[in-house]
Amino acid sequence: MTQVAEAKPAVNINEDYCSRCSICGSLCPYDAISQDHENKKIILDIEKCQVCGICASACPARAIDTIYYDRDSLLNYLRKVKPKYKSDTLVVMCKGSAPDFSQVGKLFGVSDFVPLSVPCVGRISEELLLAMLAEGMKKIDILACDEDYCRFHRGSPLTGRRVMVLNRMLEQLGYGKDAITMQRNSLKVKVDKDLCIACGNCVFYCPYGAPKLESVGGISFDLDACRGCGLCVALCPAFALDLENWERDRISNLLPQLIAEMKPPKLLVFRCQWAVYPPLNGDVSPNVRTIDLPCSGRIEAVHILEALQSGADGVMVIACSKDDCKQEGVSAKAEHVVAKIKGQLEQIGLGERLGFGSVSPRYEGQAEEAIRQFRLIIETIGAKGKSQ
Amino acid sequence: MIVTVLKPLDEILDSISSYRKILIAGCDGCTQPPRGMREVKTLKQLLELAGKLKGKEFQFKLTSVVKQCDTVLTKSTIKPYVDDIDAVLSLACGAGPQTVADVFPDLPVIPAQNSHFVGIDDREGGAIFDSCSSCGDCVLALTGAVCPITRCAKGLLNGACGGAREGKCEMDPERDCAWELIYKRLEKLGQLDRLKEFRPPRNYQKKGWKVAP
Repeated sequence: MTQVAEAKPAVNINEDYCSRCSICGSLCPYDAISQDHENKKIILDIEKCQVCGICASACPARAIDTIYYDRDSLLNYLRKVKPKYKSDTLVVMCKGSAPDFSQVGKLFGVSDFVPLSVPCVGRISEELLLAMLAEGMKKIDILACDEDYCRFHRGSPLTGRRVMVLNRMLEQLGYGKDAITMQRNSLKVKVDKDLCIACGNCVFYCPYGAPKLESVGGISFDLDACRGCGLCVALCPAFALDLENWERDRISNLLPQLIAEMKPPKLLVFRCQWAVYPPLNGDVSPNVRTIDLPCSGRIEAVHILEALQSGADGVMVIACSKDDCKQEGVSAKAEHVVAKIKGQLEQIGLGERLGFGSVSPRYEGQAEEAIRQFRLIIETIGAKGKSQ
Repeated sequence: MIVTVLKPLDEILDSISSYRKILIAGCDGCTQPPRGMREVKTLKQLLELAGKLKGKEFQFKLTSVVKQCDTVLTKSTIKPYVDDIDAVLSLACGAGPQTVADVFPDLPVIPAQNSHFVGIDDREGGAIFDSCSSCGDCVLALTGAVCPITRCAKGLLNGACGGAREGKCEMDPERDCAWELIYKRLEKLGQLDRLKEFRPPRNYQKKGWKVAP
């Protein structure tokens, strides 16, 4: 665990504005917000907070500040990128159900749109949606995860209610029916039965009991139970499983270009999309490129090795701690996967080129600090092939 | 299952260094996780990375046999490759490379793994235990399904040696005393009378080396 000295919490309650209504506490999926019985003060326990932003989106007094994806930065982003996309349709999508923008467009039947990918759409308030319309957007499509798939449990249901209420208001204001549309989508495992060798590995590893292995008929998945962590996909010994939008080939195909556009030392980072909330404008360092994973459980040795083979000087996997994992502690399994391949890389003198960091977005800069420390290691051992 | 462990990569590199075109052949069989296409591909990538650092280049082809200890399956899976490879690197237990060698007498075969034992895979406990010595004369019916030949360090057939301390073997304080396990198990099953039955010394001829299918 990387700890930053005097870490700045990602969520703060501004007591000057707080009216102590405790709506935030009633919506927090993690019981991180409570109210003092005596003085009615709202208290945030940052160690329990998972930075979903639902509290901030629901606060009537705008008394809750988040350092990521807050109202101002989202609106600034919209103003900045709107000319580039030449469209007045905004697609707001949860990262959890939409890593691949081209797939999202197909879902809504639009080819040109302004994409806005956020960690949980539950952080988008009614007021913010109206402000986005006021910025010149004619239509807003929202892609949320299915309700029981929502990593923050309450984000998707809450958004559904918000859209329903807003649309009624907007219709009265003359925006027509359905100025805001919403779809739900969840990305789940795909099985190639021809490749399955019926070993039962997925049955053992799935935290949700989704796979069933029968002596006749082989493997089958209960897709309602699948939560798309990707652990079974990453561990299937026969490459018989894949994950929608996080396909093995899609990740492989991303690698060469990302590595080619970096400057040495080239650091490729696979990160759990819930461990790090990246800035809206994407990667900034010329030495770092990232690939988001649905959960660190999706990391597979094949991709780590491909990155090293394609010229990365270092590969880092960034995960949530076991307690913060949104997927039943799958991140601990990911750490084992990384440790195993690291052991094998050590045998050939490349062990130090694989790093693992366990971070949380609840304090500012934890991931950046973990990457900075890893970079120091890589700079010490030098570019690949030279110091060996 | 047969419990296998990948050899040190240096050793594998040494043993393939005189070949260029190599077929890495996995086995989807009993080992858990199976040494199927994922392990095959990972090994290929590791050997390529290691080879590059040593200025050595290989051309790998990849396949996996449903069961590499089966001559028919091994033959049909590997045959399409034989004309275009210098050697086979086998990711099976010790039976796998020998099967390949039997089926393709002219083809060099190199084992990528060390085989250890026939084991119980305690996946939840995260450990694999030696459990069967393939002795050809199974006594598990008398011993509450705990094998004294394998799990007793001395392979005793007629009860504990007396050297155990707090249920652990005097040879290795981490190892359970097999005869204590047997006693407890028979006690639970109400079969302690089975201990009264005398087992004569084992007939090692029963192990054999060949069995009709």
